[in-house]
Amino acid sequence: MIKDLSRNVKLGIFVFAGTIFFIGVLYMIGSKRNLFSSNILISAKFYNADGLMSGNSVRFAGINIGTVKNVEIINDTTVLVQMVIENKVTTHIKKNSIASIGTDGLMGNKLVNIGSVSAAAETIEEGDELKTFKAISAAEMMQTLSATNENIKIITEDLKQISSKLNKNNSLWNFLADTTLTENLRQTIVSIKLTGDRTAYVAGDLKQLMAGVKEGKGTLGALLMDTSLSKNLSQSVVNIKLVSNDLAIVSGDLSNITKGIKNGEGAVGTLLMDTTFVHNMNKSMENLNTGTKGFSENMEALKHSIFLRKYFKKQAKDKK
Amino acid sequence: MLPKVLNNFFDEMGSISRFGFRFFKEGFVPRYEFREMIRQCYYVGYRSLPLVGLTAFIMGLVITIQSRPTLVEFGAEDWLPKMVSVSLLREITPVITALICAGKIGSGMGAELGSMKVTEQIDAMEVSGTNPFKYLVVTRVFATTLMIPLLAILGDAISLYGAYLGCNIRGVVSWQLYWNQVFETITYGDLIPSVLKTFFFGYAIGVIGCFKGYYSSKGTEGVGQSANSAVVLSSLLIFIIDLLAVQIIDILNLT
Repeated sequence: MIKDLSRNVKLGIFVFAGTIFFIGVLYMIGSKRNLFSSNILISAKFYNADGLMSGNSVRFAGINIGTVKNVEIINDTTVLVQMVIENKVTTHIKKNSIASIGTDGLMGNKLVNIGSVSAAAETIEEGDELKTFKAISAAEMMQTLSATNENIKIITEDLKQISSKLNKNNSLWNFLADTTLTENLRQTIVSIKLTGDRTAYVAGDLKQLMAGVKEGKGTLGALLMDTSLSKNLSQSVVNIKLVSNDLAIVSGDLSNITKGIKNGEGAVGTLLMDTTFVHNMNKSMENLNTGTKGFSENMEALKHSIFLRKYFKKQAKDKK
Repeated sequence: MLPKVLNNFFDEMGSISRFGFRFFKEGFVPRYEFREMIRQCYYVGYRSLPLVGLTAFIMGLVITIQSRPTLVEFGAEDWLPKMVSVSLLREITPVITALICAGKIGSGMGAELGSMKVTEQIDAMEVSGTNPFKYLVVTRVFATTLMIPLLAILGDAISLYGAYLGCNIRGVVSWQLYWNQVFETITYGDLIPSVLKTFFFGYAIGVIGCFKGYYSSKGTEGVGQSANSAVVLSSLLIFIIDLLAVQIIDILNLT
């Protein structure tokens, strides 16, 4: 009985291990095919499926995020590819993303690449259809290349002609070789630029000024815009007119007075016009001069007199 | 009417088919010989595991080492885990497991039942009221049918580990990268048919082994013949079933 039991245990372990491994493998395969994670279904229409099959990978930014679920022909120029994509990456994929069919490595399996576009858009949702980008096939590349080659042939022919013409012509070379010319050109351009800058600056100022004038700021503004000022101004003009009338009368009087003075009339006329009076005045001034000289001598003598010396000494001490 | 060789061939084929159908007829009606069946499962499954494990491990290792130079030639060395895991899982491990079991279990059954037959133990069982077919054949066929798939699954695991070591003999593939690549490559279309066909392998081994033993004759010489022909026929049948399986898988597009 005990032997039987241990055999049963061993058999149980054996069966258990086998079953666990089988389930484990089933789970691993399923999780690689996104069978157990929550998914969304999106689609894209291609012109050419390029050998894409259900089960191929879908990549976003180079990371496997899902699998191709179904590939079916809609019409002669459209193939609908349905893709199952992990829910957790949908926040990164925008509605304007572009799907293209590529190859894993040089000759690996086909896959769908989803590429993001820099423009802003909402994140994709269940059932969205992505725009597609037609990947270039080798045959198309060759076709384009042959056309390009034809074009290059024509262009090189033309280039050859142009260069031979250029070689024959000396004046162009002189023109191109002239360094001062280029320097001048450079400076001219700099000046033009400077002028342009300044013009812009001035224009800006003008604009500000005009704006200020419009708002009635400053003298000019006030002149142009302030209505009370114009009233005052007209009043002032009237006043000025009155004042100038008065002035005309005063100036008439003044001309009369100066006429009198010229003729030697009155005290001022005598002072300015009488020559004998001037002579007398000169004499008087000379007398005064000699008089003051004698007076200062007298004063010096007084300083040295016994009675007043003490007073002058004291005054000198105080000054010090 | 038919030449003797052909006559014998069809006779044998008809008998085996009848024997196989009889298993279904008697296997699913009471009474059930559970204790004997579990004993047989223990012998078929648990006792064969070391042999199957060792073979699977060596196969995984060898296939990897052998495949390497060809892939290196194409510069596709990185594809080694992918390629080896698919070929091991789809074909090599199930068939190798079945062949090993045909050798070990099929011959054992042929010899055991054959000697019981020639020593008239089977007749004695019938007389004592036990159904010898139920007790001997049904239990054994059940055991092989259920245990070979389990052995094959464990063999898959061991051979994949062997392949991992094989990848790391010359190149460097990390443990995580290896398993990532393996599970990236294999699909349900690889695994499920490969497991399903091992049920048929197991059934074939059981039926052929029991049939050869059950109808053994001509004394001890016949026992040796039974054991021998049980191995040969079941091995052949394994390949025939494999051929059928691969065509059915192909038709159903499970690749």
